[in-house]
Amino acid sequence: MMRAGPSQEEIRRHNLGVLLRHVHLGGPTSRAELTTRMGLNRSTIMALTADLTAAGLVREELPRETGRAGRPSLVVRPESSRVYVLAFDIGVDRLVAARVGLGGVILDRYEAARPRGVFVLPDVVGRLAGFTTRMLRATGPDSVCVGAGVAFSGGVRSSDGFVRFSPNLGVAGVPLREELERALGLGVPVAVGNDANLGALAEQARGVGVDCRDLIYLHGDVGVGGGVITGGQLLGGHGGYGGEVGHMVVNEGGRPCGCGSQGCLEAEVGERALLEAAGRFGTRIGRDAVRAVVDAADRGDIVAQDALARVGDWLGLGVANLVNIFNPEIVIFGGMLREIYLGAAAQVRSRVATDALRACRENLRLRTPLLGDDTTLVGAAELAFAQVLADPLDALARVGA
Amino acid sequence: MSSQPVLEIRGLDKSFGPVQVLHHVDLTAHAGEVTALVGDNGAGKSTLVKCIGGTYTADAGEYVFDGRPVHITSPRDAADLGIEIVYQDLALCDNLDIVQNMFLGREKRSGLVLDEATMEEMAAKTLDGLSVRTVKSIRQLVSSLSGGQRQTVAIAKAVLWNSKVVILDEPTAALGVAQTAQVLELVRRLADNGLAVILISHNLNDVFAVSDRISALYLGRMAAQVKTSDVTHAQVVELITSGRSGELGLQNVNGVTA
Repeated sequence: MMRAGPSQEEIRRHNLGVLLRHVHLGGPTSRAELTTRMGLNRSTIMALTADLTAAGLVREELPRETGRAGRPSLVVRPESSRVYVLAFDIGVDRLVAARVGLGGVILDRYEAARPRGVFVLPDVVGRLAGFTTRMLRATGPDSVCVGAGVAFSGGVRSSDGFVRFSPNLGVAGVPLREELERALGLGVPVAVGNDANLGALAEQARGVGVDCRDLIYLHGDVGVGGGVITGGQLLGGHGGYGGEVGHMVVNEGGRPCGCGSQGCLEAEVGERALLEAAGRFGTRIGRDAVRAVVDAADRGDIVAQDALARVGDWLGLGVANLVNIFNPEIVIFGGMLREIYLGAAAQVRSRVATDALRACRENLRLRTPLLGDDTTLVGAAELAFAQVLADPLDALARVGA
Repeated sequence: MSSQPVLEIRGLDKSFGPVQVLHHVDLTAHAGEVTALVGDNGAGKSTLVKCIGGTYTADAGEYVFDGRPVHITSPRDAADLGIEIVYQDLALCDNLDIVQNMFLGREKRSGLVLDEATMEEMAAKTLDGLSVRTVKSIRQLVSSLSGGQRQTVAIAKAVLWNSKVVILDEPTAALGVAQTAQVLELVRRLADNGLAVILISHNLNDVFAVSDRISALYLGRMAAQVKTSDVTHAQVVELITSGRSGELGLQNVNGVTA
């Protein structure tokens, strides 16, 4: 049966979500500005803010000063300290847990280094639950947790948050979402996503890619993850595994990759490739080791310079391919790729200049993340908030607030 | 990418006595873009910047700002137009704090006393607008800051005055890798916030990391002004060292003028 159109109630719920999103992403906004931005009339905005205020999601205040004549328009602020989500970041070398308030404010955070080696799901989940217990102890009595999001360094099935593969964490086939929901025991929905995909969303929402509809975020951990946003939509693929640009083969018969293939982008530009080329593999690992190579190159160490140039060249080739396929407006280098890009930009951009089509690259911007090392964590928070923004009142009702 | 440049220099000549340092130099800078000014030692980069900033007066040439021809005869003229230059020595006072440095010589007053609250708020807002997270307190003495933080303060000072063009002379020289990365990101952010930035650098990697255009000076002549996305590292090296690279650059390097 065909439906005639959305009902009044559906439109109201949609508008509530849109208004809340404006305030969540744009910060405190005056009613007058919301009226302009949403294209609704003043009384509708008033009714919507009244609903959100009653639900405890926003509050209205008089602005400090407007510098203009006339009665000032009330400013709508997100209730950041009251309404929050839990955000987790599971990387190869670190575990992060944070409590993030509506509006994107990090209220509290815990971080621990993760030793490399076998990934034991109960251990990781236990650590995150432990952090959560400590964070919850510090919350006020009227605060409410509306969801949880996880950024995971690996391929995650979108339907149920099941980890399919993660060559760099050395794990495959574990029910991450299920286990974490059980360990947290908060009765809030947990959403799990690939860290690079979430990084792309975070930089688009609050970072260097605001207002960009075509964006690629490359995340260097030990390997390379990718998040591709085209036409404003994250490219998820059929099962949610899309955007694995780290496993794009750039060098046939090249270095072996953790995924079992050879010459993947991450095999040629990942941490191990850089450290081996610099003759430094084995002693130090992680971000510090990558930084040490860039530092040595800067000080004139020829071996380190060559290693960085070689990695930069492969990275440029990978980016050139992506630029030809997706014609992005911006490519963002996050995680350890930030150091590699800034240290080898001459190689990366020379490659893009020679290998990418002029029409595809002419307005391309290459950037590092505005959110720094928190990009993936912020992405996890935004994933959790997505459900709240889709239908604020329903989301509150579900968590019993 | 705006079509009309904020700053346009045409045919600038500058001599010191019998020595002609700049020969008919053109340079443009666009809002929202980083223009890298590269060239070997003695190519004339510093002289060009000092002409732009009013420290030197050009012998000949046109100076167009925001589409209007202007005459710059002193650094004050340049500052009034909204052109700020951050020199390598940064010109910060170690014995003053960040706010005092940012407002040095241009302090805000309310009546007879200094308006500390407003200055503090403006300084904080400027640093915040640049997403500077490395500075803990704006009342810290500059003597307690690292090289990268000093550079950050000097840059923030330059953008505090609603400037339109910011010229940075070797901002990453003498910095470690982590601080270089922060300063490069800051340079990029200035342009992304709408300023026209001119970056003088010897480090081609830094140039490629943040610039939109590259202007290469060779022996006092502008060898080429190119979009960074159209050239390779090797081409820029050639422009710097020999004034030309294939089709690019001065076509008769040993002749009188191109």
